[in-house]
Amino acid sequence: MFFDPNFPLTTSAGRGTLKPMSNPETFLLQSQNADGGWGYRVGGTSFVEPTAAVLLALRGRNDAAESRARAWLLSLQRTDGGWGIAVADDESGWMTAWAVRALADFAPARDAVARGAQWLTAQAGLRVDDPAALAQARELFQIDAAIVGWGWQPGDASWVHPTALAILALAAAGQSDHARVREGVRYLYDRAVSSGGWNIGNPRMLDKPIPATIQDTAVALLALRAASVTSDAWQVAKGIEYLCDAVARAQTCAELAWGILALRAWSADVGDALARLDALQRADGSWEGNPFVTAIAAQSQT
Amino acid sequence: MDRKRTLSRRAFLRLALLSGIAAGAGIIYQRTESVGLGNYLRWMARGGAARFFAPKARVALAACATYDADVLGALRGAWQSANMPALRGARVVLKPNLVDFVSGAPCFTHPRVTQAMIHVARELGARTIVVAEGTTFRRDVRAILDATGYSEMLARERVEFVDLNYDDLVTMPLAGGYTGLKTLFVARTIADADVLISIAKLKTHHWTQISASIKNLFGIVPGVKYGWPKNTLHIRGIPAFLAELADSLPTRAGAVVDGIVGMQGDGPLFGSAVASGALVVGADLVAVDATCARLMGFDPAQIDYLNFAAWAGIGAMDASRIELVGESLTRLARVYARPPQVE
Repeated sequence: MFFDPNFPLTTSAGRGTLKPMSNPETFLLQSQNADGGWGYRVGGTSFVEPTAAVLLALRGRNDAAESRARAWLLSLQRTDGGWGIAVADDESGWMTAWAVRALADFAPARDAVARGAQWLTAQAGLRVDDPAALAQARELFQIDAAIVGWGWQPGDASWVHPTALAILALAAAGQSDHARVREGVRYLYDRAVSSGGWNIGNPRMLDKPIPATIQDTAVALLALRAASVTSDAWQVAKGIEYLCDAVARAQTCAELAWGILALRAWSADVGDALARLDALQRADGSWEGNPFVTAIAAQSQT
Repeated sequence: MDRKRTLSRRAFLRLALLSGIAAGAGIIYQRTESVGLGNYLRWMARGGAARFFAPKARVALAACATYDADVLGALRGAWQSANMPALRGARVVLKPNLVDFVSGAPCFTHPRVTQAMIHVARELGARTIVVAEGTTFRRDVRAILDATGYSEMLARERVEFVDLNYDDLVTMPLAGGYTGLKTLFVARTIADADVLISIAKLKTHHWTQISASIKNLFGIVPGVKYGWPKNTLHIRGIPAFLAELADSLPTRAGAVVDGIVGMQGDGPLFGSAVASGALVVGADLVAVDATCARLMGFDPAQIDYLNFAAWAGIGAMDASRIELVGESLTRLARVYARPPQVE
C-alpha cells in the first residue's frame, strides 16, 4: 500500500490511525498482529517475510514480542520442512529462507531450522540439460542455464532474489559450505549484469542488456558476503561499484535501506545515504508505515 | 491357384468410416489430453454458443493526438458510447500497466490517461477509487511510481495507490480450468472491488505479440506468492493463463487502452514510440484486445491468447462480432514493427 505523507496512516483491513511515536522499535512493536506476525502494512495479514525481517531487526530487544513471533513462525512450518508465505498458503516456497534465517540463532528451534535448511537444499530451480535448450538460453539471455539457483516456488526457474535469500539462510544455518550454496554462488556470478549489479536474473534479453536494480543487487551482495566470497571477483567489485552509484541517486526508503545494508556488509562507503534515509522516517518511527521496510531500514542503521 | 482378394464397396466404406472415426478420435485425444475431454467439449460448446447467440461486443475508439490534448474529453466520450459497467456507488479499482520505467521507451500507461479515468469515475459517482498495480520485475514499486510521474499525479488527485504484490490475499476459484490450476491467489483489493478497469498500454510483446487489456491483468496476481517476474504462471502456458485471468475475474471489468503513444518492436520494455493517437474502450476485454491488434496491424486470429479466448467463448474476436463506435479504425490504424519472436 502506498501512503501519501499527507494522508493518515491507514490499513486495508481496517482504517485506523496510529499514535505518533519516535523510533522504529516502538513502531514495530505496536504494529505486531495479534497472531504474533507482521504484515507488509499495519493491520495487514501476517506474512512470513516481514515477520522474519522484524525478528532480525529486533534481535533480543523485546523478548515477549519476539517469542510470539517465533511461535507464529514455528506454527507455520509445513510437514515437508518448508514454509509457505502465510497461513493461507499450503505450499512451501521462497519464504522458507526468511524463516530459517530468522530462527537460526534460536536454540529451541534447532530442529525446525535443520528441517527448513534440508527443504532448501533439496530445492533447485528448473534444471536444463537439453543441449538445444541450453544453447537457446545462451543466445536469448546470455546465461548458462545448466547452473541452478533457487526459484520462488517449486517448479519455477531460478531467480536472483530467492537464490540470494536461500544462500543467506543456509549460511545462517551453518551450511555455507553446502554444494547447493556453492552452486548458488556460481549462479549469481553467471547472472551478473556486465555493467555491474544484478536484476531479477536476466542480464540480457535478446540483444538488449537489462539494467540492474538496487534491491536485487543488494540482496545478491549480502548473499555473496555470507558465502564468504572475496571482492576479487569482478561480479562483486562491479556490483559494489554499481550499488554505490545507484544508492547515491536512490529516492525510496526500500532502495536506500537495502543499498546501505549491502554496502555496509562490504565495508563500502554509503555517502549521505543514511542521512537521506533518516529524512524519510515518519513521525511514527516507521518508513512508509510498512513493518517490512521499517525492519530493513532499522537493520541498515546498526 | 492365385486368388486375388478384392474389397467390396461396402467393406471399403466401412473401412473409410472406421479410419475417419479413428483419426477424429486421435485428433481429439491429442488436443484434449492435457485438459480432459470434458473440459475441451465444455469450452468448445460455450464458444460455439457465444458465436451464434451472444450480442455483439461494443468497442469505442477515440482520437487523441497527444497527452497535452483533451484526454479527459476523448475518454469521457468513448466511455459513454461503449456500454461500460455502471460506476455509481461502486468501489472502482484502476489498474494501469506500470511494468517498469525504461528511459525513452513508452512501455507504461501514461499517467494522464489514468488521471482522466479517475475524473471519469468521479463524474460517474464512484464510491471509492484506488489505483493499483503489482509490478513484474521490481519489488519496490515506489521507484517506478516516481519515475513515471504517478507519485505526483496520485498526490495531486489524492488517490490511494495499492501495491497488489503485497496486498492481503484472497483465493480466487478459476472458472475455466485452462491451466490445470483450480485456484489462484489474487490481491484482496481486486476481490473486494465492484469494478476493475484495466488501463493498459497499446504495445507489442515478445511472448504474446501484443500487450493490451488482458496481458495487463498479470499485475493482479501477487508477487509475494508467484515471485518476480511471476514466471511460474508463464510456465503454465501464457494463452491459457491469460484466458484464466480474463474468465475468472471476481468483479465486473472494463478496459481503457492508452494508444495515444503506443510502443512497437521489442516489447514489453524496450520498444520505440508510435504516435497512434488512439484510446480504446470496452467492456469485453477480448474484443478490446482484438481491436488493439487491428490498430497495430496484427491479425487477431494469429495471436494465440486471443484465438484461444474467443474459441472458448470468453469474448469476441471476429470483426463481425464487434460493433465499433466512435473514430474510424482505418484512420487510427498503424503498422507496428513486430516484436522479436521468442519460442
